[in-house]
Amino acid sequence: MPLLVDPFDKLTEDLKSTFRPQREWVDKRGLLLVTAHFLSGAGAGTWLFAWLLGLNWGLAIGWVLVAGGAVAHLLFLGKPLRFWRIVRMPQTSWISRGLLSISLFLLTALLYLLPGYFPGLPWNGDSGLGQALLVISLIATAGIFVYKGFVYAVAKAIPFWNTPLLPPLYIAYGLRGGLAVLFVASAIQGRAMDLESAKALELWMVLSTAILLLFYMGVMAGAGVTTAESIRHLVRGPASLPFYLGAVAVGLIIPVAFGIVSYFSPLTPGAMSAVALASLVGDFYIKYCVARAGIYLPVTVRFPARAH
Amino acid sequence: MRYGMVIDLKRCIGCYGCQISCKMENATPPGILYARVSKEEIGEFPNVRRASIPMLCMHCASPPCQEVCPSGATSQRPDGIVEIDDKKCVGCRYCMMACPYGARYYHAKVRSYFPGQGLTPYEEWGYRNHPTGVVEKCDFCQDRLAAGQEPACAASCPSHARFFGDLEDPFSEVAMLVRDRGGYQLHSQLGTDPSVYYLPS
Repeated sequence: MPLLVDPFDKLTEDLKSTFRPQREWVDKRGLLLVTAHFLSGAGAGTWLFAWLLGLNWGLAIGWVLVAGGAVAHLLFLGKPLRFWRIVRMPQTSWISRGLLSISLFLLTALLYLLPGYFPGLPWNGDSGLGQALLVISLIATAGIFVYKGFVYAVAKAIPFWNTPLLPPLYIAYGLRGGLAVLFVASAIQGRAMDLESAKALELWMVLSTAILLLFYMGVMAGAGVTTAESIRHLVRGPASLPFYLGAVAVGLIIPVAFGIVSYFSPLTPGAMSAVALASLVGDFYIKYCVARAGIYLPVTVRFPARAH
Repeated sequence: MRYGMVIDLKRCIGCYGCQISCKMENATPPGILYARVSKEEIGEFPNVRRASIPMLCMHCASPPCQEVCPSGATSQRPDGIVEIDDKKCVGCRYCMMACPYGARYYHAKVRSYFPGQGLTPYEEWGYRNHPTGVVEKCDFCQDRLAAGQEPACAASCPSHARFFGDLEDPFSEVAMLVRDRGGYQLHSQLGTDPSVYYLPS
């Protein structure tokens, strides 16, 4: 057995460094959490826009994505069979609020969808019960949009996350991801005409998320030594490849470039679905990069030096 | 009653005795350090020196870990000790993201201190109290406190750099040290109000 293998999975190295990166929510099984946040955000967005645009086929896709996010959440847990305990502290914990929102969504959205597949049921989407289920599912959707950003934003130990700028960023990415899912799905199904009216909205959302991201990073770069180190992680450090390639090049530059082209000539459905796919890749990678750039406050930064 | 600890950085010699005695007392698996000694460079050139900073759970009066815990596994006793109920912990590791002191560790899998040789009898015995898939941390050696003893790290410190007692008793050793020697808390700006104080070196 080689003697130089770190038996503690980089713990020794991390404890020696001034700026200790968080690894639990991004390495190994931590990727499941990033995936869960990506799927649940995109799924909630898909549900919302499918309802707004009257696309019943999109509603089912949204439900499946949120369900996939819920499964990824459960697989991430150290004790998945105890998942029901997570709902016990909604008064203080954003994870509790998130699980409640996801559970409520999965239940009400499923009940809303079922009559479309099983017509014999005593309610349908247009009945009073159906409308009530829809309203509750939309409220739960709002909860799903909001909770992810706040889960990170209340972490006092990680200044890069501990900012009110993160929830709007996650909401924006969730919204654009939802619409992107619909574009990709419509292209696969040959129903591109369903989304003709939403093209401008998707391109506008791509641009607005790009501005939000730049604003977030600009503020964080000047918010202290730890956040500056997080930014360094992204632009010159271990997270730079996924940041530049996934979040910036694929997730922002390609869609924005297509958006500029669309100003001069309308995008074809194929090009639009390519924009949407790039948006989704960017959505995943921005969540990965934000998690990857999470660096703890140096624990000893406040120790005063002895006067000499 | 609020249990607290005072660590005199002038007395600490960085021998890692607290870290080892904690491991012996709690039989913590590899990679889990309820108590540890961090070696830091302090000051700026040319006034730079090496310092040993003992770290452990700060048992904050307003613990951010408890606030974010979704399952209620982290709780605070009336005497101020912040504890984890490993039967309630779901292993979401949110508390690790919230703790500004790096005091919490996730026990992912059973590992031996002697890779490839299986668990020693001591490890087999000790790991019964360390289930996998949950988060762990220092509990100020609750069992020792119940038996009227100090936490292992304080009892074993060869330079007597650690003091343990009731912070709310104004005549206790810890309260007087904090008051008279200018004891300070780590990251007090976060409003966590730790129960571990440091005396300047």
